[in-house]
Amino acid sequence: MSVTTRSLLDAPVQDAAPTPVARRSRPSASGTAVLVLGAIYCLLPVSWVLVAASKSSADLFNTFTFAPGDALLRNIADLSGYRDGLFWRWMGNTALYAGVGAALSAALSGLTGYTLAKFHFPGRTLIFNTLLAGVLVPGVALAIPQYLVLAKLGLTNSYLSVLLPSVVSPYGMYLARIYAAAAIPNSLIEAARTDGAGEWRIFSRIAVPVMRPGLVTIFLFQFVAIWNNFLLPFIMLGDDRKFPLTVGLYSLLNQGNTLPALYTYVITGALLSIIPLIALFLSLQRYWRVDLAAGAVKT
Amino acid sequence: MRSRLAAAAAVAVVGAGLVAGCSSSSDSPTETGGRVDLTFWAWVPNIEKVVDKWNAANPNIHVTVSKQAQGDELVTKVLTAAKGGSGVPDLVQVEYQALPTLVSNDVLADIAGEVGSAKDKFAEGLWQQVTLGTQAVYAVPQDAGPMMLYYRSDLFQQLGLSVPKTWDEFAATARTVRQKDPKRFLTTFSAADPGWFAGLSQQAGAKWWSINGETWTVAINDPATKKVADYWGGLVTEGAVDDQPMYTPEWNKALNDGTLIAWPSAVWAPGVLEGNAASTKGKWAMAPLPQWSSGESKTGNWGGSSTGVTDKAKDKKAAAKFALWLNTDPDATAQLVTEGGLYPASRDAQAGPALQKPPTFFPDQADFYTQAKAIADTAAGFTWGPNVNVAYTAYRDAFSKAITDKAPFGGAVDQMQEATISDMRKNGFKVG
Amino acid sequence: MAAVARRRRTAQHLVPYAFLAPAIVMFSLFLLAPIGYTAYLSLRKIKVEGLGLGRGSRKEVFAGLENYRQALGDAELWRGAGRVLVYGAILTPVMLGLALVFALLLDSPRIGLRRFSRISIFLPFAVPVVIASLLWGFLYLPSVSPGQHLMRGLGLPELDLLGPDLIVFALANIGIWGGVGFNMIVIYTALRAIPRELYESARIDGCSEFQVAVRVKIPIVVPALILTTIFSVIATLQVFSEPMTLRPLTNSLASTWSPIMKIYQDAFARNDIHSAAATSMVIALVTLVLSFGFLRLVQNRAFGAENQ
Repeated sequence: MSVTTRSLLDAPVQDAAPTPVARRSRPSASGTAVLVLGAIYCLLPVSWVLVAASKSSADLFNTFTFAPGDALLRNIADLSGYRDGLFWRWMGNTALYAGVGAALSAALSGLTGYTLAKFHFPGRTLIFNTLLAGVLVPGVALAIPQYLVLAKLGLTNSYLSVLLPSVVSPYGMYLARIYAAAAIPNSLIEAARTDGAGEWRIFSRIAVPVMRPGLVTIFLFQFVAIWNNFLLPFIMLGDDRKFPLTVGLYSLLNQGNTLPALYTYVITGALLSIIPLIALFLSLQRYWRVDLAAGAVKT
Repeated sequence: MRSRLAAAAAVAVVGAGLVAGCSSSSDSPTETGGRVDLTFWAWVPNIEKVVDKWNAANPNIHVTVSKQAQGDELVTKVLTAAKGGSGVPDLVQVEYQALPTLVSNDVLADIAGEVGSAKDKFAEGLWQQVTLGTQAVYAVPQDAGPMMLYYRSDLFQQLGLSVPKTWDEFAATARTVRQKDPKRFLTTFSAADPGWFAGLSQQAGAKWWSINGETWTVAINDPATKKVADYWGGLVTEGAVDDQPMYTPEWNKALNDGTLIAWPSAVWAPGVLEGNAASTKGKWAMAPLPQWSSGESKTGNWGGSSTGVTDKAKDKKAAAKFALWLNTDPDATAQLVTEGGLYPASRDAQAGPALQKPPTFFPDQADFYTQAKAIADTAAGFTWGPNVNVAYTAYRDAFSKAITDKAPFGGAVDQMQEATISDMRKNGFKVG
Repeated sequence: MAAVARRRRTAQHLVPYAFLAPAIVMFSLFLLAPIGYTAYLSLRKIKVEGLGLGRGSRKEVFAGLENYRQALGDAELWRGAGRVLVYGAILTPVMLGLALVFALLLDSPRIGLRRFSRISIFLPFAVPVVIASLLWGFLYLPSVSPGQHLMRGLGLPELDLLGPDLIVFALANIGIWGGVGFNMIVIYTALRAIPRELYESARIDGCSEFQVAVRVKIPIVVPALILTTIFSVIATLQVFSEPMTLRPLTNSLASTWSPIMKIYQDAFARNDIHSAAATSMVIALVTLVLSFGFLRLVQNRAFGAENQ
């Protein structure tokens, strides 16, 4: 029962058997065109951000939307100078929340998924279903009650108040369970048990290495989710020096009636905030194993 | 195996506790050797610099500014923190219309003892808003937003228009603009800015909430407000004014390229125009709002906030001292003007040196602030109710719907009334 | 020896619970406790006395099911639900249809610029919804939008994308833009896992690429499609950020356009956490019923692997 996993951005599979030459000729124009149109549609707002971030504040509303300006570096400098580099502090905070949060979440999901997949015990289905039900309650509704619960623990307005709730990821546990079930042969575990290995050792030395691609995927999912999360940090944090990028940019945008909206800062900030995520994707692309979400297919 | 797991868990919990202790600096008071550390939630630009001055002169009372939200959102955060019992700041910037909400939730302390003597430094209408008509004083007025008319003097000249002095003249001017240049509008009616509409209603003499002993009276659909609503509704239906919301990228563009050539706004408008329509610098002028009857001079307020001391403040006396200094000290108020871009509530500051020059965006109107002070003195007082947010949300929903349905605005005002009064009754307020 | 074996067996029994403990603790603290607290709050309300301005004139009292009665009887909530259903009916088929088409194309042998398209289509996943809504807002507003600029230049009538008739499409577009890449990748990897032999024979028999896709590929990835549909439906029911961000830009969106927005209004604007709690419980229940219904359906297919 092995899993044919494929790396996300693999080169197309080369067939062993020869095929008639006619079928292997030029690429299909219509097919390529459809894909490229889709790509352009997806790139449109992103390219707009790039162009808009290059305009000075005065030009932003005065020139044609896609005419590039020359003020990109100046805008970045201005944004960096805003309140002594607060933007970069936000960037650092976001990296902290996302990096540490996703790592902890992947670890927790891995352990939980492995346990749910490989152990049979009373209450297993109940626990799993309860964990899954966690995705169903709207985050908006939970925001204030979560704040109140954390307030009782005295943890509000701290880095932990954003980190800890982000660690629990029912979706990650779901993915980990599927992956563990499909990727770790029971025989391997049994053999280790017969050899006298302890359960923790089995998990850490055998299961984790096998699950690594899945864990990386969960890490990446959760990283993006935390990076882009708005409501949780918005309600938890009172000190604007602890803000992540989403809340920080939002505060720049909503300055109220009596102040001008800092559109240039927000747009430049938005551009700068997208770049790390893209870089992360591109650099970790060989670790993606998204097929664990579609694990059902292998039956 | 299991014991290792338990040990790891224990370390994690202890570690978390340590980190929590380190980072919750704003939760636990730190009083060392008589020094008090106060937190101040505010959003005025560069207010940190003003606070730095205070900290330098008052080493025993150290104030730290935190800017995380504005207006209503800040109110929500304060209320949530108060409910949770921790993380409440010591000082908070509160818009006038939010004061009853905070007082009603026991968030603000009564500082009449410390600041009551400053009553005469502020206009009566403003002082009334921080006392809520009672003997207590819940905040110190910080800035004011008397309303006035801004217009593009260059385009007015080009189109041969004269500055309207009454609302009838304003309507006629609006029609003329449409006639002479169909691409332009005199101004826009915004269904997204209830504070703006409230200010205009104040000018007409509206009294949305009033207190009779222990009973509230809600009259959002009083004749004055209906007059204002019907007036604007007529202009929108005619197409004489635009119907787009303000403070959007589209609106910015319209200000920049002259699609909108006038803006009934408040005294803090120069800062907004400078930020949003920098290319039109020097082309605008300011005049009093058009009046309902010729020869009158009345106006209303749009926005403006105060500095309040919270009930949970570590040292209310010290906090009140700071609040008073911030809003009455000549240097502090001067800096709030120049760096914060606000119009001070303190009468002395309104006549002070910082306001002798016109704003940079209005270089040709030398007597800008003298005129502003005269206008500010005519601003009507207003009593805010305990559920202003409900009324404001109802405004946005009802008026935007009236615009898309092309329905008369009078009905929208009735909807506001209905929503507000039923919300108050639902919560148990005594409404007459 | 037997004692050791027994101790080991007992220990082994407890191991899964120990391993699950961290997850259960965290979950209880950050999800169960708040949910429980929300349920508690939904049964209470605030009672004010007189003017409500004096000290202690506000009290939280037991309200029974009053909040629920009000939530369920609120016409605006049902209208919001209806709007969201329309929104979902536009979003889900289009987004998943596009994802399927793109995935099939990526899996076809004769396609060029594959890598570029794959990365580009996936890119929107990296953009936070609040930012994405703002960006699209700029692209929708008539005077700053390049699309409208183009239409004006071509002499075509302007589309009021933020007007009451088209606003639901404008909103759906933001969701489609943000979600098509992720779903495409999910379906694509499901396709890549299909053994080649399955359709090589079909190809040799003379089937065109299109027929191979329809007859062989699509039926096999149906489970992946079901999964993505469920998650898409759940996300649709909870749509919030897009209409919230677009609302200040247009007259066409009420503050309670979607049910979640209504909860936000109650909790944050009206400071009525109790109504918000009741409405949340209602929505959570509806989502629960719908999702578990579907999950039941796919459970066998999703976990068939480990039951062997």
